[in-house]
Amino acid sequence: MKRIFSSLADGKGFDIALIVFPLAFLFVMAGLPLIYNVVMSFQEVDMFSLGTFARPFVGFKNYVTLFSQPETWPILKNTAIFVVASIAGQFIAGFALALFFWTNFPGASWLRGLFLVSWVMPGLVVGAIWNWILSGDFGVLNYLLTALGIIDGNIFWRSDPNFSLWAVIIANIWLGTSFNMILLSVGLSAIPKDLFEAAELDGANAFQRFWTITLPMMRSTIGAIISLGLIFTLQQFDLFAAITSGGPNNSSNVTQYWAWDLSFRQYDFAQGATISVVMIVFVMMASIVYVRSTRHEVRG
Amino acid sequence: MSETTKHRLMLAIACVLAAIYLFPLYWMYVTSLKSGSAMFATPPGLFPSDPQWSVYTYVWETRDMGRYMWNSLVIATGSVALIVLLGTGCAYVLARYRNRWVDVGLFLILMLQVLPASLLITPIFVGFSQLGLLATPRVAVIIAIAAKSMPFYVVLVRSTFMSVPMELEEAALVDGNSRVGAFFNIVLPLARNGILVSGILIFMQAFGEFVYSKSMIQSIELQPASVGLNSFMGPNTNEWNNILAYASMYVTPILAIFVLLQRRIVSGLTSGALK
Amino acid sequence: MSNQTELQIALTGVNKHYGAYHALKNIDLRIAKGSFVALVGPSGCGKSTLLRSMAGLETITSGDLVIAGERMNAVPPRKRDLAMVFQSYALYPHMTVEENLTYSLRIRGVKKAEAKKAAEEVAATTGLSGLMGRYPRELSGGQRQRVAMSRAIIRHPKAFLFDEPLSNLDAALRVHMRKEIRALHDRLGATSVYVTHDQIEAMTMADHVVVMRQGVIEQQGAPLDLYDRPVNRFVAGFIGSPAMNFVPAVAADDGRSIILPFGEGQHLPVNRPVPRGRSLIAGLRPEHLVIDPTGAGPIRLDVATVESTGSNSYIATASKPDIVLVTNGRSPVSVGSRISIGIAPEHVHLFDAGTEARIAVEG
Repeated sequence: MKRIFSSLADGKGFDIALIVFPLAFLFVMAGLPLIYNVVMSFQEVDMFSLGTFARPFVGFKNYVTLFSQPETWPILKNTAIFVVASIAGQFIAGFALALFFWTNFPGASWLRGLFLVSWVMPGLVVGAIWNWILSGDFGVLNYLLTALGIIDGNIFWRSDPNFSLWAVIIANIWLGTSFNMILLSVGLSAIPKDLFEAAELDGANAFQRFWTITLPMMRSTIGAIISLGLIFTLQQFDLFAAITSGGPNNSSNVTQYWAWDLSFRQYDFAQGATISVVMIVFVMMASIVYVRSTRHEVRG
Repeated sequence: MSETTKHRLMLAIACVLAAIYLFPLYWMYVTSLKSGSAMFATPPGLFPSDPQWSVYTYVWETRDMGRYMWNSLVIATGSVALIVLLGTGCAYVLARYRNRWVDVGLFLILMLQVLPASLLITPIFVGFSQLGLLATPRVAVIIAIAAKSMPFYVVLVRSTFMSVPMELEEAALVDGNSRVGAFFNIVLPLARNGILVSGILIFMQAFGEFVYSKSMIQSIELQPASVGLNSFMGPNTNEWNNILAYASMYVTPILAIFVLLQRRIVSGLTSGALK
Repeated sequence: MSNQTELQIALTGVNKHYGAYHALKNIDLRIAKGSFVALVGPSGCGKSTLLRSMAGLETITSGDLVIAGERMNAVPPRKRDLAMVFQSYALYPHMTVEENLTYSLRIRGVKKAEAKKAAEEVAATTGLSGLMGRYPRELSGGQRQRVAMSRAIIRHPKAFLFDEPLSNLDAALRVHMRKEIRALHDRLGATSVYVTHDQIEAMTMADHVVVMRQGVIEQQGAPLDLYDRPVNRFVAGFIGSPAMNFVPAVAADDGRSIILPFGEGQHLPVNRPVPRGRSLIAGLRPEHLVIDPTGAGPIRLDVATVESTGSNSYIATASKPDIVLVTNGRSPVSVGSRISIGIAPEHVHLFDAGTEARIAVEG
């Protein structure tokens, strides 16, 4: 007893006490659900069997059903479009802004930080704002595009199946650009200034310096940011709930919204769990890329 | 062009860029102050000609926002308390050692950080309902948020602990402190800033949380403001001034915290995200 | 050290492993009360690990660590009553100078007024009196160093442990603090263990120098003993500045001289018998080599470079290996000229070419 107490006060026991409870908590509250999710994807789950643990196992039936449904492939395609377009938009806009703010004029860092409000706002609020901006008849975006002569009739962003997914993508790009920009700024400021001075003395112009110094030096940062972008984009749920609810007719539905919709709107928990498992495997692969690229960052 | 003129020009362009970027936010406040007819006017007015300040008290009372905001506050505070209590020690241990076990732990924690809440909610909901946790839905949401956000907090706070030199703790040990004493007297006070900033980030996230609350809290009396906003926005609504007044009141406290502590939040966030 | 002196710290057969890495190998060390012991060696030699093991910041894997008669192997640092001065000073940044000084006393439950009085007394002797309300970030490097020292002094510990405490100071201040630390040690009658990579610091401050390499104590003893009788080539090369010249040599047939590899079979007389044909390394300290103006010296080589600091000149020869010698004042020779070099036979160090161990004078 005395030894345990003294280890708690002076030795490894202190570290163990500090780490055991959080790890146990995480295991029970995040690890077990993950396992339970996989289990449910192999079970028949309905409203009646929801309360019991003894549910019939059905093998891969849920997976077979999932991939035989007519909406599955369009939704996977939407997810891919949503992810690629969002990341591309966030990254390009973020990089452009980061490069602009790189010239350290007075006030630059404060203004740059201000952009991040888009990222700290509740997703539902961002969704509500864009819902209104993208409104068909009275939305300010349609007004601007008409006034600039880009379009001649109003686009019904939220209700036109050709545009509904893009409505969410626009809102998501706005939301994530600032985060990309801040992280890219950090990466830019970590490049030693004398590299650019040396390249300038070697006769490289601004464009050549960007291609031969900036981009290669930023490689690991860019890798980390793109995989972070992938992770965040696949987590995006609130915007779908606020802007289109996946509609009309699944034209803006993506897997992370569909999984929830299946479980909580259609009460098909087994299908919800099954699509979750598929996506979680994918997200985990993305995060391995992220971990590897941040590792690289640390080693420099 | 002299250096100062160049700087002024850059600053001016930067302000224009910020104005464009932050226009949606401005549009929220402006719309909330417009009357029903001004809201649907073409061309839309850039300024509210006749600001309807009464909309705020009207929305606050008719939508019962006090209750929604209180629930959001309860959920956010509970989550932060649970995360700080559990996550701080975890972050400290992961910062103090560098070995294979720490690498494994860190990797698992990063993995948990990336799982989308909307995918995890299905097993959490089923599991929690079997455990009877849904009888106290706000507690259930707090636990779920804590499990979801703790990895992020641990990663941020770990980098703070890593910036506290090990020698300080060792000096305290040689000076006659126990590990416990050195942790509370030396390490924690020096990591206070990072813990505070990370706690605020977690608070802001939890204050706006939607998926878990929407799925697990059925009773309107216990729902947070995010769920309230969602049910306010019906598919064919035209009360946009009222909805955006709701959104303004919901988001303004968060924006105020952010603008006040901007510098610290940004540096805290960037130090954690890339390391 | 004689048996009568009281031992303050004794290590017997101490080993330290980090996984597969063997950081300390069978360390035996006796530190007498009141002595000033320097642990010196190249980086990674284990000297800091040894010091930290004494403090309790590392636990030793095997062996015995006894402090003031008590076995301390598994005792936490706070119960060892040792004070440590860190390389980075490790001043608590959120505490004022006074709070830094009194921290250890407050933990031990010393009354506030009493602790304050003790801090003022120590501060008066270390010249910190006017700085008690400042925070570490508001102090200069030298002042921080003094706070770190004072924080150790205030406790009257069983021993002071110094971990390269001067390496963050500029050269002039370092020389000054060297004297000050030694004077303080004498005044307090303290026991000190001092880790440094700078052999000059070790030689000038300590009464007992411990030379370490790769976790092993190579040699320990009084500073000048190490200088005069290094047990092997490593210690010989580590102690002394500029470093000793090492020249491969073979024992001559006469058994009283060695042959250097400089052509013409240059013979160098030595003061001890060496079996003929044995492969050797001759160690020649630069300060022991003299230029013979008559040209009768046993070593004759061309001058490659001459560097002069004004007070001394460093002359290097054009040979393989090159030989460096030091003369007082201006160089008497110029680059390209041939010089003749002599050395007293008792100053020639001899090491076995295979084991690199010293070949001692017999009898």
